[in-house]
Amino acid sequence: MTLLTLRALSVRLGARDAVRSVTLRVEAGELVGLVGPNGAGKSSLMRGALGLLPAGGESSLAALPARERARAAAWLPQSREIAWPVTVETLVALGRLPRRIPGAPMTDADREAVARAMARMDVARFADRPATELSGGEQARALIARALAQEAPLTLADEPVAGLDPAHQLACMEAFAALAAGGAAAMASLHDLGLAARFCTRLVMLDRGRVVADGPPEAVLTAARLREVYGVESFIAREAGALVIQPLSRSR
Amino acid sequence: MRLPYPWLLAALGLLVAALFCASLLIGPAGLGLADGLAALLAGRGEAETLVMREIRAPRAVLGLMIGATLGLSGAALQGYLRNPLAEPGLLGVTGAASLGAVAAIYTGLSLLIPLALPLMALGGAALAALMLLGLAGARGGALTLILAGVALSALCGALTALALNLSPNPFAATEIMFWMMGSLADRSWLHVQLAAPFMLAGWAALAVAGRGLDALTLGEDAAASLGVRLDRLRLALVLGTAASVGAATAVAGGVGFVGLVAPHLLRRAVGARPARLLPAAALGGAALLLAADIAVRLVAPERDLKLGVLTALVGAPFFLRLVLSTRRGLA
Repeated sequence: MTLLTLRALSVRLGARDAVRSVTLRVEAGELVGLVGPNGAGKSSLMRGALGLLPAGGESSLAALPARERARAAAWLPQSREIAWPVTVETLVALGRLPRRIPGAPMTDADREAVARAMARMDVARFADRPATELSGGEQARALIARALAQEAPLTLADEPVAGLDPAHQLACMEAFAALAAGGAAAMASLHDLGLAARFCTRLVMLDRGRVVADGPPEAVLTAARLREVYGVESFIAREAGALVIQPLSRSR
Repeated sequence: MRLPYPWLLAALGLLVAALFCASLLIGPAGLGLADGLAALLAGRGEAETLVMREIRAPRAVLGLMIGATLGLSGAALQGYLRNPLAEPGLLGVTGAASLGAVAAIYTGLSLLIPLALPLMALGGAALAALMLLGLAGARGGALTLILAGVALSALCGALTALALNLSPNPFAATEIMFWMMGSLADRSWLHVQLAAPFMLAGWAALAVAGRGLDALTLGEDAAASLGVRLDRLRLALVLGTAASVGAATAVAGGVGFVGLVAPHLLRRAVGARPARLLPAAALGGAALLLAADIAVRLVAPERDLKLGVLTALVGAPFFLRLVLSTRRGLA
C-alpha cells in the first residue's frame, strides 16, 4: 500500500529553491532514511510533503484535510519544543489528539498507546515528572514517544536521533524499524550514515534540493557518492552482514 | 499533592460565589446582611431595593464577568504565544478600546449621548481586531501577532497622550485620567446589557481554543501536524479577545495585572495544561477582580480609590514575588 506519493514536489524558501521537483513514493513496510548534507532540503521536503510549507507539485498528504492528515501521518519536527512544564505522560498523550473526539476523555486504547510509546522510548519512569525538567536527550525521547503514540500509518521524523546516547539512538531506530515491520512506514532524516545503513530498508539521498540516489543502503552509500555529495572519504565495510560506514577525512 | 481538577474548579467556583455575595453586601449604604438580602430578593424597602438591585448587583455582575474575561483571555494568549508574560493588553485591544473611550470624552460626545463612551470603546476594539488580522494575516505566526499588537498599543498610547495633551479643558483631562484608571463604581444594568453579549461571544470563541492550545505545547509545526488549524485558532483568539476584553474595557476602563496573574497563580494547580488552565483562570480572574473591587470599597470608602490602581498596586509586587520564585526554580 502506498502511504505517501510526491509528484514533482518543489519548495521555495525565500529566494532559494530548497526542494526541486522531487518525485517519490513510500510504501507500507518501508523505513526510508533521508540523507544528504546540511541544507540539502531534507526538512523542507518533509514539511512540504506534510503541507506545513507551501509547495509546488503534488503531495498525497498535503492534499488531505488537516484532521485526516493527522491520522495519516505523524510528524516529529527538528526543534524540540516543550512550552509548558506538563508531565511526560501528558506530553506523550498529545499524540492521541487526532484520534480523540474533542472534549471526550482518553479511552483505554489511548492509554495503552501512550504506555506502549513511553515504554518503547524508555521514558515510562519519568511519566509523572514535568517534561521541562528532563535532560535534552530525555526530552527528545519523550517527544519521539509522542510521535509514536500517534500510531499513524506513516511517521515522518526530522533528525530523531540527534542528541541521543548510542543505546537510545539504537532504541529509536528499532522503534521505527518495528513500525515498518508492523505494516506501517517511517521516513527519517539522518546524519549518522552508519545508523541509516544498518536500519533503513531504503535510502533517499538529497543534494541541493534534488534526489541524487534512491535505493537500498549499499547501493546508495558508495565511496564515490559520499565523496561527491558530502565531500568526505569514507571507510565502508561489511561486518556480520551489516554495512559499516565511517567518514574518515574531508576530500579535496 | 495536587487537588484533582474537578475539585479545583469546584473550590474556585465556591470562592467566586462567596466573593460575589460579599461584593453585594459591601457599600456606603451600610445595609445589614438580612436587610440587604431581603431587599435584593424580595424587594423589601424602597431605598434598600434600589441600592441592592440597581447599584450593587450590576457592579458585582460586572466584576464577575470582567474578571473572568481577563483571566480567560490571559490564559488563552499565554497558551497561544507560549509565553507566561503575555496578558490581554498585549494585543492592543485594551489600548484601542481606551482610545475610543478617550475620544468620546475628548469630543464631549460622552456628555451628549449616555452610552457614547462604551460604544466608541467597543468600536475601538473592533478596529483593533481588524488591524490585527490585517497585519498578522492568515499565514503570520505568533511572533507577527505580538509585533502587530505592540505596534497597535504604542500607536493607541500615543494618540491617547495626544488627546490629553490637547484636551480642551482641565476637566476633560481629569476625566480621561480617572477613566483610564479603571473602575466599577456607578455602573448600571445598561452597562451589563451592553457588555454581556460581547463577553459571552468572546468566551465562546476562546473556550473552543483549548485543544489547539494543548497541541501548541509542542510548537506550531507539531501542532499543525496534529490537525490543529492554526489560522482558525488565531482568528478565534483575536476575535475572542477583542470582543470580551474590548467590552470589559468599554465598561470598566483599563484593569491591569488580573489577566497576567490569574493564569500564573493557577498554572501549577492544573499541571500546566493550557486547555485546563482556561476555565480555572477565568474563575481565578473573577475571584481576583471581585476581591479587588471589595478592597477598593473597604480600604478608602470616601476617596473613590480606582480599581485599576489597586490591581496594579497589589499585582506588581505579587508579580515580583513570582519572578523571584521562578528564578529559584531555575537555579
